[in-house]
Amino acid sequence: MDKREPNDPLFGGASQEEIGALSRRSVLKLGLSAGAFALISPAFAQSSATPKRGGTLTIAADADPIGLDPTTTGAFSSYDFTGLIYTGLLRWNADMKVEPDLALSYENPDPTTYVFKLRQGVKFHNGQDFSAEDVKYTFDRMLDPKTASPSATSYSGVKAITVVDPYTIKFELARSDAAFLSYLATSPNGSIVPKGVTGLDTKPIGTGPFVFDSYTPNQQFTLKANPNYYEEGQPYLDMVVFKFYKDQSTIASALRSKTVDMTWLKDPKVAALMVKTSPDLVSAPGQTSRTFPIWLNMKAKPMSDVNVRRALSLATDRAACLQTVLGGSGKVGATIPESQVGGYDGVGDLPYYKYDPDQAKKLLADAGYPNGIDLGDYLVVAANALDVACAQILQQQWAKAGIKVNIRPMETAPLLAQWTKGDWGTLLSVALSWSPDPDAILQRFVSTGLYGKASGMADTKLDGMIADARAQTDLDKRAAANLEIQKYIADNAYVIEVYQYPLRWEMWWNYVHDYVPLAANIRTFVRTTWLDK
Amino acid sequence: MMRLILNRIGWTIAILFGVSIFSFMLMRALPGDFAQASMGTTSISAEALDSIRHDLGLDQPIWRQYLGWLGHALTGDFGTSFVTKQPVVSELLSRCGVTLELTLIAAVMAVIIGGFTGLAAARLRGPVDWLVRIFNGLSLAIPNFVIGTLIVLLIGLYFPQLAVLNYTPLLTDPVANLSSMLLPALSLALAVSVVISENTRAAILEIAGQDFVMVARAKGLRPRTVLGNYLIRNALTPIITVTGLQIASLLGGSILVETIFAIPGLGQYLYDSIASRDYPVIQAIVLLAAAVVVLVNLLVDIAYARIDARVSYE
Repeated sequence: MDKREPNDPLFGGASQEEIGALSRRSVLKLGLSAGAFALISPAFAQSSATPKRGGTLTIAADADPIGLDPTTTGAFSSYDFTGLIYTGLLRWNADMKVEPDLALSYENPDPTTYVFKLRQGVKFHNGQDFSAEDVKYTFDRMLDPKTASPSATSYSGVKAITVVDPYTIKFELARSDAAFLSYLATSPNGSIVPKGVTGLDTKPIGTGPFVFDSYTPNQQFTLKANPNYYEEGQPYLDMVVFKFYKDQSTIASALRSKTVDMTWLKDPKVAALMVKTSPDLVSAPGQTSRTFPIWLNMKAKPMSDVNVRRALSLATDRAACLQTVLGGSGKVGATIPESQVGGYDGVGDLPYYKYDPDQAKKLLADAGYPNGIDLGDYLVVAANALDVACAQILQQQWAKAGIKVNIRPMETAPLLAQWTKGDWGTLLSVALSWSPDPDAILQRFVSTGLYGKASGMADTKLDGMIADARAQTDLDKRAAANLEIQKYIADNAYVIEVYQYPLRWEMWWNYVHDYVPLAANIRTFVRTTWLDK
Repeated sequence: MMRLILNRIGWTIAILFGVSIFSFMLMRALPGDFAQASMGTTSISAEALDSIRHDLGLDQPIWRQYLGWLGHALTGDFGTSFVTKQPVVSELLSRCGVTLELTLIAAVMAVIIGGFTGLAAARLRGPVDWLVRIFNGLSLAIPNFVIGTLIVLLIGLYFPQLAVLNYTPLLTDPVANLSSMLLPALSLALAVSVVISENTRAAILEIAGQDFVMVARAKGLRPRTVLGNYLIRNALTPIITVTGLQIASLLGGSILVETIFAIPGLGQYLYDSIASRDYPVIQAIVLLAAAVVVLVNLLVDIAYARIDARVSYE
């Protein structure tokens, strides 16, 4: 896990024959003690030891899947399972670069055309042969409005999909689109389903390393090794079993008692403590992929006033929140987390990021609130303890600048409803999970989008900047454009970003080998995992 | 008598009907629906959300949704879970069994712990009495979910060999099943055992002071006989009444304890379904709970009328 420079030659110059390296600057200088990192490195290295075959890997999961059809599910909790059952044309490698999977290679004759050569001899779990027809079927079905696929918007630029021959498929895009390959590499957005097979929601059939065996809601999800998997020798495990525990302390106990071999935790402090007391436990925070933003309702006063928003940004001591809530296991955040192209590194200067309550007071006075301002309710997700803890610290910080808020922890579903409908008062926090491409995050600020409308965005200049960045396939230039957008958003304080941190802290016992945690919310590297108990 | 029973059954049906309308409306009045909850923070277009609602029939007027549900429910079909896409009824039945088992084990534990400590406190008095009362005070004051979490954490830390978090169905392995039930049952039983313990203590003390006990002693009966035949037997009536009342609170407490210990019972099912707005499941569980309460009341009414001549419902 070496540190990459921000200006890594990303995609540029790579020959079109090989899949370009969509490099993500991956910096893991996260605050878990140096000891934790010493533990990580041996596990990360694809060990030279010969993998042992057989055995069952048991994983503790905190949520049940909602539907197993990759085209229709939008539930975060389903991705863990679709990521093992299905595969796509491309996939993320250990360094979060895109590499070929069901495709062998691709050509990019012009910026809007992609031609994929496919693997031959691949079979779906039901015995059906995989060919270009399945790829076409998958995307035609996804883009059909009747399917209501959450992935459809990700491929809205796809104009035509043509089967050239049984093992060649051509995608034509309406415009140059840098996000296209990222989505193809992600489960479930790029997962290929077998043509003509229905009922995938409960009986999933893919081309992945593991075959669906059984599922008992709230208890257990069982997968068996796919004997016909196309990667030589993989998978090494006979079975993968997920056990469901809804309570974080129960998950911690299940791992400690070795009822499960592997899990992930939400709280960095608990994870750090567990590693400290059990040296045989390997803990690996992924790259930062989650941001904690405060979404502003800018449709009316006072949040429609840029001075009020800037004051709020100046009154926020981001570093203090990071230290107190996450114990330093993260970074100061901006719109895009560091694991993405052009993500913010937590150090660089952004407008209105310096903690300055006096200046904040001055701006408030300019806006017509010389005696401070009461912003009313600040809605947070009650189920996310980290969010609530951060909100309480923010409340105190803001009070110093004369900004009063009343924290209202809420149940998740109604809070999301208010967010998408745009009928919250002034402030609302929903932490963002991993997105396949930074564009997915930026789309939330586009004035014509669902979220942009909800929060009252009306900045056509920003809309143009976001569209241009997505069209930029030179990744160096794209990273620069994304940084520019983040500066612009910070300058206008369209959102108050606090910090960024890994989505989850993955942990496993040291008899689990060759597993690699990804910033993405998927565990595709279970395919290379083997056990030495 | 026949008329009474028919009358009550008529009322039962009317009440269940009312409950079904009420809970149906109530769930839909709650902000946030399944489409929204299942997508979480996944970026999705408004059209896609609407399309999910359309597929589930959530875009129809609420009375039509209700009539559709009622039509199926009358034939015993309570629909399909939005989340698991599996029929609600079979899932519900298997979960009923699990919760029933957990509640029964907890009840037995509560009776043993409560009866024993109450008896010891009443007969031995002195320091034992004090200890029991302090123990009772603590058990009553600490909510069962705190006790449950403490048990999970402490066992995980000091006795990781005890695989307490591995729920096994009763039919698969009865021994493993029982061992996975013991700790959750204990965390449920403690608070209930306090009530039993305190009532046992009070009842025994009260009866011990009565004349017929003094007579028994004066007659020269052995202390064991006095305890068994005079004290305990007479104290039993109020204890049983209280125990019966407490079983209901066990069912309520199982919601949190099942969630903590990952036991697939009714409580955990309800908790998850409310969070994910899984309407068909919530509707079925609420209706089942209402049916149980109404049925128990019906049985009690009938029993009173049979036992006590003064009670008449004519």
